[in-house]
Amino acid sequence: MSRKPAVAPRASIGGGGGGVPGALAISSDDMCPVCKTIRYLNKDMEFLINPECYHPMCSNCVNRLFNDGPNQCPYAGCHQTLRRKGFRSAFFGDLTVEREVDIRRRVAAVFNQVEDDFETLGDYNDYLQQVEDLTFDLVFSGADEGRRRKAEANLQQWEAEHKADIERNKKAGREADETARRRLAAEREAARQRRLEAAREAEEERLERVRSNEEALDQLAKGDGAAKVQLKRRGQQGRPVAAPAPEADGAAEVTGAAGRLSIRGLKEKKRAPESTGPYDPFAGYDFHPDRYKLRDAFASDWLDGFARDPKHSTGGYDVREYYARAMFDAFSGMGVFIGDEKETGSLDMSAREVADFGAGMAAEQSGPVVAPSIRMEVDDVFA
Amino acid sequence: MSASPLVAYPTDTLKVNSRPTASPLKRPISAAPSSDGTPRPPVQAQPTRPHATMDLAEQMNDDEKRKWVKGKKLGEGTYANVFAAHLRTDPSQKAAIKKIKVQKEYRDGMAPDALREIKHLQELNHPNVVRLISVFSSKDQNLNLVLEYLPLGDLEDLIRNVNTYRYGAADIKAWMGMLCRGVWFCHENFVLHRDIKPNNILIAANGEAKLADFGLARSFSDPAIPMTTNVITRWYRPPELLFGARHYSGAVDVWSVGLVFAELIIRSPFLPGDSEINQIDCICRAIGTPTEENWPGVTKLPGYAVAGETVPVYGKDAYMGRFGAVGADGVDLLMKTLVLDPRKRITAREMLEHKWWRSEPKPTRNEDLPRKTKGGLEKMAADLKRVNPMEEDNRGAKVARKLDFGAMKK
Repeated sequence: MSRKPAVAPRASIGGGGGGVPGALAISSDDMCPVCKTIRYLNKDMEFLINPECYHPMCSNCVNRLFNDGPNQCPYAGCHQTLRRKGFRSAFFGDLTVEREVDIRRRVAAVFNQVEDDFETLGDYNDYLQQVEDLTFDLVFSGADEGRRRKAEANLQQWEAEHKADIERNKKAGREADETARRRLAAEREAARQRRLEAAREAEEERLERVRSNEEALDQLAKGDGAAKVQLKRRGQQGRPVAAPAPEADGAAEVTGAAGRLSIRGLKEKKRAPESTGPYDPFAGYDFHPDRYKLRDAFASDWLDGFARDPKHSTGGYDVREYYARAMFDAFSGMGVFIGDEKETGSLDMSAREVADFGAGMAAEQSGPVVAPSIRMEVDDVFA
Repeated sequence: MSASPLVAYPTDTLKVNSRPTASPLKRPISAAPSSDGTPRPPVQAQPTRPHATMDLAEQMNDDEKRKWVKGKKLGEGTYANVFAAHLRTDPSQKAAIKKIKVQKEYRDGMAPDALREIKHLQELNHPNVVRLISVFSSKDQNLNLVLEYLPLGDLEDLIRNVNTYRYGAADIKAWMGMLCRGVWFCHENFVLHRDIKPNNILIAANGEAKLADFGLARSFSDPAIPMTTNVITRWYRPPELLFGARHYSGAVDVWSVGLVFAELIIRSPFLPGDSEINQIDCICRAIGTPTEENWPGVTKLPGYAVAGETVPVYGKDAYMGRFGAVGADGVDLLMKTLVLDPRKRITAREMLEHKWWRSEPKPTRNEDLPRKTKGGLEKMAADLKRVNPMEEDNRGAKVARKLDFGAMKK
């Protein structure tokens, strides 16, 4: 060892590596402390460490120094004898962490008891505390060589005394890992089966739909009356939970029921009814007036003028919309009795809504009853 | 506390009484209104309540305000701040409070956009229209609108973040379905939205898209009552408004819906004009020039001005190339929403009756739509969602189930 790098000797280095300051962390633009090569000159430079002392050096140095058998660590003041075989690249950038992980791995291999081995949880926790104390002594008692030695001795003693136990636990641990792996694999397989099943059912459903469509078309082709059945059936399937229509056609009901039987598991209760049946773009809403009939034209001298006025029609204004609105305004609110709705909650939404709005809007709750759906048609002040 | 300036307070006589509770806001919550929202009658049992100075309306307002706990600020707009909020009695009931800023021009009254919003939203109750839960005023007569809580952002977010969100024809169909339903509901109730654009379409926690921001809404006009043409964000403004038509109908919203549709497909604005003149130009170039042939009477509109050569209205082939992702039926619907003549444009109801909804693919279910994610998805949901049922679950294969240093090096 003629040439030793001028690295300041470290008092604590020795044995299993008494403590490696964080300053040894490898960074990308590092320089090999032994041969002073910098990464600029050797792009592929790789740092290796030996768990004996955790001193990093580049792979070239390792080859150069240790190819001919064991040699002393080239760091000044470090008297560890290292072998080529012991070198590896560090997993962690910070070598203190690397070292701690190594130690913990070693301790964990020896103290591999599991909770089942203890009588009470308290005992297990005490054991864990003990192991952690020992680990801590091994890892962090850099300056206090005595404590580290003692811990090391404890560890070796325990290992020697409980060889059989350790071996047994190791085996049990491996078995547990194996079962966990198998369980995961089984779960994956089950999920795959579920998906296959779902795909198959979707396909069946599609075929069913195609078939029923064809049937409906046949029916339509046969006669006029079938059209009504068709419309009714479609409406039924679209509704999320439709009460059985009292006057429903027998055939329509059967198909409806068959479409609903495809519920698979209770967990999907929420989505199953939605996914069956064709998509209803209106989502079950219908605003066709049932108290009056809207005609295409209502005779009115006043309105007819606007209907013909190009100023109105060119921009898309449609007098028919005005008819519709006037009729809507005139008839909405008929047959709505707030009192009843509030008491029975028959209209599940609006009963609550009425109350809400009542609180927010109405100035007097006990005053004359105002139907909630009457739109207050005040002349809009904003043109 | 909103105190009408017209009310003269007999402050001197009541001062002694009101001292113990310094502010009515610090009163314990015992006075929360009953669950059905019925306001409580003036309570005599609590003599310390300074309610003697408040008229009934103020008292109700106060009760309403007290129902809500305002949380952190969610965002700030030009004319309102939005805060998170929840019910005092049940913190799981979330809401958003839109606090209208006092505007200089409207110091003497309510801001018109706030008024429009309240006026129309209080009447509309539909899953695809944002719900107005309550309204109250806070100090300085600031209006507070309590709106439904919609935590998953807006459609613009989904469209713009091309790398974050991937979606397909089925997803577009689902969103369009919800949008069309919302618009249809408004029109069916004679309300023009007049500001439909992707960032006014908000996504609820369950994936439902909802039409929001009714600041420009109004009801359908009576004949002879002119409406303003200065509505709808420029990119989504229909030609009749650009040409200054003062009488229009729901067709203006349908045009906007069509452009949102196009934007969903190409994931960038379809007609991004940088001025009104340029917007007309964009329409002429991308859709066709409005002429007397395709839109009788258009040249008589006050603002009619088209520059350059007349471009014939494009046919289906031109659209198929760019919007083919939604299939022939989808393109057909898109074209019908982008008809120049508002009289020939499809209506909201007809949109929902279109055959596209019944053709393949079926719209995605709400819970499966792409959305802002908060944390990982549940496993069950994840494996039901996979498009290809045969695909293997390799997602977590490379991640260690637990920290296992033993496996690192032996």
